[in-house]
Amino acid sequence: MKWHNLLRDRLRALIRRETVIDDIDREMRLHVDLQTDANLAAGMSPEEARREALRAFGNVNKIRDTAYDVKGGGMLETLLQDLRYGARVLVKHKAFTTVAVLTLGLGIGANTAIFSVVNELLLRPLPYRDASTIVTVWEVSPEGRHQNNASPSNFRSWLAQNTSFQSLAAFTDTRINLTGDFEPEELSMQLVTLPFFQTLGVDPILGRAFVASDDETQKQSVTVLSYGLWQRRFGGQPDIVGKQIKLNDLPVTVIAVMPPNFQFYIQKRSGTGRPAELWSVLPLRNLGDYGRFLGGVARLKPGVSPEQANSEMKTIAARRSADDPQHNLNWGAEVLPLREQFYGNVRRPLWLLLGAVGFVLLIACANVAGLLLSLATSREKEIAVRAALGARRGRIVRQLLTESLLLACLGGVLGLGFAWLGIKGLILISPRELVNLQSVGLNVPVMLWTLLVAVITGVLFGLTPALNVTRLNLNDSLKEGGKGEGGQTSNRRIRSVFVVSEIALAVVLLAGAGLLVKSFINLQQIDRGFNTDNVLTMVLRLPESRYSKDPQVIGFFRQILEQTRAFPGVRAAGIVNFLPFYGGLGSATGFTVLGRPTPPPGQEPSTNVRVADDGYFQALGIPVLRGRNFSQTETMEPKRVALINEAFARKYFPGEDPIGKRVDVAMFDKPTPTEIVGVVGNVRYESLIDDYEPYVYFSHPDLTYSFMTLVIRTDGDPAALAPAVQREIRSLDPNQPISDIRTMNQVMSQTLSRARFNTLLLALFAGLATLLSAVGIFGVMNYSVALRTREIGLRLAIGAQPRQVLLLILKQGLILTAVGMILGLAAAFALTRLLSGLLFGVAAVDAATFTTISVLLILVSIAACYVPARRAMKIDPLRALRYE
Amino acid sequence: MANHKAALLQGTLDMLILKALSHGELHGYGIIQRIRQLSDEMLHVEQGSLYPALYRIEQKGWVSSKWDVHETGRDAKFYKLTRSGRKQLEVEEASWDRLVLAVNKLRQAT
Repeated sequence: MKWHNLLRDRLRALIRRETVIDDIDREMRLHVDLQTDANLAAGMSPEEARREALRAFGNVNKIRDTAYDVKGGGMLETLLQDLRYGARVLVKHKAFTTVAVLTLGLGIGANTAIFSVVNELLLRPLPYRDASTIVTVWEVSPEGRHQNNASPSNFRSWLAQNTSFQSLAAFTDTRINLTGDFEPEELSMQLVTLPFFQTLGVDPILGRAFVASDDETQKQSVTVLSYGLWQRRFGGQPDIVGKQIKLNDLPVTVIAVMPPNFQFYIQKRSGTGRPAELWSVLPLRNLGDYGRFLGGVARLKPGVSPEQANSEMKTIAARRSADDPQHNLNWGAEVLPLREQFYGNVRRPLWLLLGAVGFVLLIACANVAGLLLSLATSREKEIAVRAALGARRGRIVRQLLTESLLLACLGGVLGLGFAWLGIKGLILISPRELVNLQSVGLNVPVMLWTLLVAVITGVLFGLTPALNVTRLNLNDSLKEGGKGEGGQTSNRRIRSVFVVSEIALAVVLLAGAGLLVKSFINLQQIDRGFNTDNVLTMVLRLPESRYSKDPQVIGFFRQILEQTRAFPGVRAAGIVNFLPFYGGLGSATGFTVLGRPTPPPGQEPSTNVRVADDGYFQALGIPVLRGRNFSQTETMEPKRVALINEAFARKYFPGEDPIGKRVDVAMFDKPTPTEIVGVVGNVRYESLIDDYEPYVYFSHPDLTYSFMTLVIRTDGDPAALAPAVQREIRSLDPNQPISDIRTMNQVMSQTLSRARFNTLLLALFAGLATLLSAVGIFGVMNYSVALRTREIGLRLAIGAQPRQVLLLILKQGLILTAVGMILGLAAAFALTRLLSGLLFGVAAVDAATFTTISVLLILVSIAACYVPARRAMKIDPLRALRYE
Repeated sequence: MANHKAALLQGTLDMLILKALSHGELHGYGIIQRIRQLSDEMLHVEQGSLYPALYRIEQKGWVSSKWDVHETGRDAKFYKLTRSGRKQLEVEEASWDRLVLAVNKLRQAT
């Protein structure tokens, strides 16, 4: 059957009923006329000819009806009729309709909200041309650290040797000060090699992308603006291209503006901690060979898979390892599809959440199916009458299913409303790495999903009751005046099955949520090695144009620190180049211990490096375990001294006193032996979970960064101090931008945002599931009490105590709960394993968690049974016995 | 069979309609005439029942239709075999042949 022919005919039949019937009539009339003509020609009289023609044609009315039915008229008319009837039923049973639509709305709404995120992040094409052929390229360190930045020399060898890529570009993020006639601002800038935009397949909306001549000078003399920056700082001037702006006080020409939403931000490997707002040329030819700070992005040649490219890159890396073991021994390379790069770490949680809302929806379905069963009981007589009047079973099932679908669609509409709210909420609590979540919304695919979910839901919860009701014995229903006991018992059995499944599903969700909550608590309680309370942080980057000499930089920070420390309520203040959990390149650097034999190439010890002053350790409460902190003079002049953390001491000086030892860390142009003067406590910088890594702290004069973070410990609310410190900095240099003003608690909260996102959502869904199950238990128990009114009345009449009746009902409810719980726990044992990657400090099968949720669920079901049980207890035996 | 006309076997009407149209465009009355003519007046189709069958076939995409002026000056709806209709005719004819063969074998076996 050609479905479009069918659909066209049916729609025509529905919308233009008259036309369709008229068409059929005209066609048949012509037929009869022609036959009449033929009969006349054969010599019949006009009346006879006409009569004969009609006789030969057959029953005109019947044929027209059949023909109209074929054209689909009948089916749609039936549908309309069923819909009208269904609507009347729903209006009549207002309480039922309200509860059912609300339940479905919650279920469908939660589903739609999560699906909108899944669609945006995992299903929709990324906003680059043919994004499936774009990959990122990284190095892999000998210790197995993935997505490590690449050194320029290795990147150049990738460029020269690869056969997999159509184009390959390097990028690295940096911070830059935008100055000029307005308030200075520090921005994140992405330095990229020429083929960057072309590789991503995105063209500017104004101006042109970089061309070869842009790469000729060593200075970055041209720049491309993001749409956001263009709007925000330049008022969206249409003639911005060709104008000069000042970056780090140097004039730079704007050559293009990118489209809105264009972004290429890899948070984990960005040294700036936020998406770039402008782009400039990275002069690859002029870069030194070593130091790992580049990311690679490439477009695959047609027909080359990411796996093939991956193995080719590994081969190239192996060659580099053999050719230049001093820098590359055992370093590998890897290729990641773009979606994996951006959303690989959220894929699993998102599918899990979608599964969780699927469970919630199933529970909602079971609930509504249960409600429909009770409704069907009260309609038993009506249905029996219809059947007796000759309605086939299929016809009645169709009528009932139409009602369910109508209900589901109402639920779907309400669900869209809930989803809209839900999406707003999701964006509010979304973790930092889900930057694209801002564009999530109720778009066409999401609406289609809602429709699909609503229809499936409608069939799912409507089918069982419809089939069950129509299976009834006609005679019984009619005879007993609509109180066929047989049907009610089977109804009750089915409803019990529904309730048991609801509880089982709720247990699985509760178990998952319980485990996540527990691991979230564990995460928050991890010792970070510093005190996060009452700490204010802000980032300063001094422009090289005005602070070209180290002493100027050191002096500026000294001055700010001195004045800050003088503020009332400031306990300590210090500086560090990269705060804990700031992000950053985080590449380790090799070093040698003076007086020890030189290790074989590739096996030099390595350490992370930080630059700080004495105040930093005081402000964050990092203890000095051995030796001493930096002295006053050491924070003002280069004295070649350093502190190490405990992990460093333990790893490289086991059983030795590191104080007084000298190390040469490869951070300087020439050998620079530095004396270890103290050991400080371990601090978690990148991961809350991984083992502590070795860190060495240089004092600011020894390794002068113009990019430093102020860390201030206060007595009271740290945020309240921010304006005063800002004013102080402005008074020293009005052109100095300040960025990332945050309290340390805010920094930590952002670090935990992903775990919080997952935990909060799963807990929310588990809560919803529990609530809906409670409604389910309540419904089935209430129904059961109504059915057993006579029996209970009888029991009370022959002397049962109300207490006993109460217990009887409670027991019945608890048996259902217990069965559901056992099934649920069994399923949870199997399913919580899916959470393993998201859990911390708790096993996927955790006795304490499982016990807690079981107790919780039992309490909830007792509460849900209590009202019906009370009702049973209050039954008046006399009235109950008379009640028939 | 009193009137020497064969009763129509269930399901063969589709094939007859397709066959009738295989020689060119026709309106409903014309199809009836063509069937009668092709079967040497042996086959009798209840004329009205043609139409539901015709509409069903049209929905299956085997024929297409359009309104046009009949030679008598009246409007008539003309039906035309589509390519998939032509294929379907072959299929139905082949299966009809198989049926005839099978029935004949069965009769000869007695």
